[in-house]
Amino acid sequence: MFRAKTKDLRRTMTRRGLLLAGGSALLTSILGARLFQLQVAQNNRYQRLSDRNQFDVRIVAPTRGRLFDRKMRLLAGNAESFELYITPLYVDDLQQTLAALGQIVELTERDIKAVLLAARKGPSFRDIIVRNDLSQRELARLAVRSPLFGGISFGKSLRRIYPQGSLACHITGYVSPVTAREIERNQSLEKTPYLGTGKVGVEFAHEDYLRGLPGRERIEVNAKGQPIRVLRDVDAMSGKDLQLSIDVEVQLQAAEILRRGQLTPVELGTMQVQRALAKNSELRAHIALGDDLVLRDAKDRLVPPESGAVVVMDIHSGEVISLVSAPMFDPNLFTGTLLTRDWRRLNSHPRTPLLNRATSGQYAPGSTFKMVVGLAAIEAGVISKNTQFNCSGDMELGNATFHCWRKGGHGMMNITSALEQSCDVFIYKVALKTGIRKIKDMAHRLGLGDVTGIGLPGEKQGIIPSHEWKLANQGRVWTPGETVVSSIGQGYVLATPLQLAVMTARIANGKEAVTPRLVKSIGDPVSDFAPLDVDPYALAIIREGMLEVMNSGLGTARNYDLDKSLGGMAGKTGTVQVKRITKAQREEGIVNNIDRPWAERDHALFVAFAPVKRPRYAISVVVEHGGSGSSTAAPVARDILTQLMLKQG
Amino acid sequence: MTVFKILLRIPWHLLLLAGILVLVGSLALYSASQGSWQPWAGRHAVRAIVGMALVVCLAFIDFSFIKRMSYVFLAAAILVLLAVIVIGTGQGVSRWISIGGMNFQPSEPAKLAVILALARYFSSQPHDRMRSFVWYLPAFAIIAVPFAMIVKQPDLGTALMLLFGGLVVVFSAGLPWQYVFGSLAAVLAAVPLLWLQLKAYQKARVMTFLNPETDVLGAGYQITQSKIALGSGGFFGKGFLMGSQSQLNYLPEKQTDFVFTMIGEEFGFAGNIFILLIYLLITIAILRISFRVNSRFAQLTCIGIGMMVFFYMFVNVAMVTGLLPVVGAPLPLISYGGTSMLTVFIGFGIVASAIVHDRRQS
Repeated sequence: MFRAKTKDLRRTMTRRGLLLAGGSALLTSILGARLFQLQVAQNNRYQRLSDRNQFDVRIVAPTRGRLFDRKMRLLAGNAESFELYITPLYVDDLQQTLAALGQIVELTERDIKAVLLAARKGPSFRDIIVRNDLSQRELARLAVRSPLFGGISFGKSLRRIYPQGSLACHITGYVSPVTAREIERNQSLEKTPYLGTGKVGVEFAHEDYLRGLPGRERIEVNAKGQPIRVLRDVDAMSGKDLQLSIDVEVQLQAAEILRRGQLTPVELGTMQVQRALAKNSELRAHIALGDDLVLRDAKDRLVPPESGAVVVMDIHSGEVISLVSAPMFDPNLFTGTLLTRDWRRLNSHPRTPLLNRATSGQYAPGSTFKMVVGLAAIEAGVISKNTQFNCSGDMELGNATFHCWRKGGHGMMNITSALEQSCDVFIYKVALKTGIRKIKDMAHRLGLGDVTGIGLPGEKQGIIPSHEWKLANQGRVWTPGETVVSSIGQGYVLATPLQLAVMTARIANGKEAVTPRLVKSIGDPVSDFAPLDVDPYALAIIREGMLEVMNSGLGTARNYDLDKSLGGMAGKTGTVQVKRITKAQREEGIVNNIDRPWAERDHALFVAFAPVKRPRYAISVVVEHGGSGSSTAAPVARDILTQLMLKQG
Repeated sequence: MTVFKILLRIPWHLLLLAGILVLVGSLALYSASQGSWQPWAGRHAVRAIVGMALVVCLAFIDFSFIKRMSYVFLAAAILVLLAVIVIGTGQGVSRWISIGGMNFQPSEPAKLAVILALARYFSSQPHDRMRSFVWYLPAFAIIAVPFAMIVKQPDLGTALMLLFGGLVVVFSAGLPWQYVFGSLAAVLAAVPLLWLQLKAYQKARVMTFLNPETDVLGAGYQITQSKIALGSGGFFGKGFLMGSQSQLNYLPEKQTDFVFTMIGEEFGFAGNIFILLIYLLITIAILRISFRVNSRFAQLTCIGIGMMVFFYMFVNVAMVTGLLPVVGAPLPLISYGGTSMLTVFIGFGIVASAIVHDRRQS
């Protein structure tokens, strides 16, 4: 019995073993059939493909379009740059050769690994890039020794350069090597040796226009892999040039005037300055970025240049003539291999040079917002030109007291004198009667609270608060006190310097809702702006108030008017508290700006248009922690406009 | 048993067939390095000679000793696989461990350990138990533990080969047909689950396999180039050292996983079919030995090893011809790579020991 069973089992096993043998034979014949299909039946097709493999396709990079300023001065161009290539086919020991090359040119571990990987993956006759952007010195040293190295060759390509250095950095942005993230979004970037892709600024915004299309050439190789000839398949198509509305000269002057502010430049060489530098980490961070401007403030302390933003625009065409954000950075740092050292410096800089303050910096507009309140009130019929309110220096509302900047008050005020002397209490009262809804509506019509559409990436829209905004963002209802605080451009209200320039341009223009643009219009500026739709009568009153700011004996900027021979200007100051003033501080007397730490000083703002008679330009100035809008920001605007008007002749 | 008797009983025909493959391999590797014994062909030949000597040595070891040690081997294999997970090396994966400067891939000999352990298990079960599914569960555990550990490395190719090798032993042990089909259904059901376990690059490989034209320069590059090389070889090939695909370096990994392609380009359909036939002969020769040996343990071991060699070949060739996704599997005795060659030779040695020390033969 048992034996029989064992025999059964054995028979099963033998049967199954035979089954497996049969299965193996079957599977092997499937493989054989597959081989027959590939090698015999489709031999012709694969033979052709194999022949085609004897052509190596090389992608030719297109020339990127250049950027010019409004007078065709170069902002971004392409310069020749030299690369070192190696052809594995002609190299006996790739690793050793690379090590030897590393003695002559700078090669990182990563460079070497990349070459070895490329050599393993690709055909051996294909040139592999070892280093780009060789310096003249490296080139000379290599040229002398090149007979020692079989298989190395040189290539010439283009590299993006920004001849103006940091001057237009926030406008042009920069180009840098294609990143893995970009390839994920656009597969076609992977195999193309572009100069790089625009990462910020106009370079980013107009990437497709500037980039061009790559060409292709085929290199025929013989069976040993040696190149025989180069056939050009498709010519590369250069990207298109772009003319911007920026005027480099104005940009330069605006940057210098803003950065200098009310400070005095110092000589860097002296021992005393060097000693002071050693102790001041912020100054060192600033100098490490290649900027040698160091200044002295009114208290004789060494300080870096002022930071902030200036926007100058044409009130008719919307063209932005200057857009400065300080501190700046050198976009040329990004075009080749960005050194970690530089990247760290840019990122650890206490004043964030990479941030474009003009479009992405959001500031409380302060008293420059009073025009909005005035316009809303007149348009709504809440006040007329002669409606008067008394300013006693503060205003009670519920349990709260709202102060005017002037302790004793301004006495009887109307809208023009309130703008002229920047009276807070008058505006508080008018705002309460007008209501936040109408103020918000006016702000939007003047370009606040929405992106301006200038076409720079990362533009911020600011905040114009309202009932709905507060409910959505804070979950609480709006209070009248908040209307009061908002009316003088504080509290939740935020605007970018660009928006303030647009607001001023629209007030000066009066007819059209001017929007800013960076690209120069071709031929006559064609205005295709929407109508402004603000009561012209109200605008005239507000413009009169802005004129009084410069001209009246009590005007907050009376000492800083643009010379009458140049047409004069109309403006508005703004001084923005960064830190709340407590009751105790108010009673003790407020500490002067200059005696506070920099980060606690007030922001200084100023907006203006000029010339008064036939306005042409609008300007906005923000000096971060600059102190007062009248004494710090107004002269900056005046000096820039002076240069601009002088050039007009 | 005298030394002479042992030598007489060694299955020399197996060694002869293996020798042919090693010779073909050495020539291919000579060509892969553009006509040089360096760095691959010379070392390949030397390793093979050492391997064949090992087969003869193993033939002298008493087969009952191997049977006694089979669970110990499995335990050792699992321990080493565990060590790989902890201290293993490899690019983003841990498959190898270094012993005295030599890289060693423990998942390969683990296949042998699983086959031996399964054979031992089934040979020690009373025959009447083999009708109930419960008694097959320990066998599945023997397969599942190392399988899971190899998947984890991750090395899908080796893991699947281990799985097939083990299942073949279970099948031969007499797993009733209803369970065979039941398991097949279960495996099919588990496919989506396995898919979720795959790493991104493994998924890419499978997707590429299903549609290689989508990504000719990326993940599909290897298989596209491999097909071009094979197909352009034609019936008799482009000639020794004349394969432009391989010589110009279009074909990646031509010394390891894609060596079959290179032979196909230079020796054509004829050369490839020759290799397939040699492998089939080796498989059938080992299966034939399994019919001749007496003990159930020896039978199951031989079937397992014979089929293991076959699966090696099948997975590799199916992969380079585009019938299976690129899972990374060598062609043993031909591909450059010590561990798979060693595994195959140890397998041959065990087969030799089985036949030499078989009761029925004496």
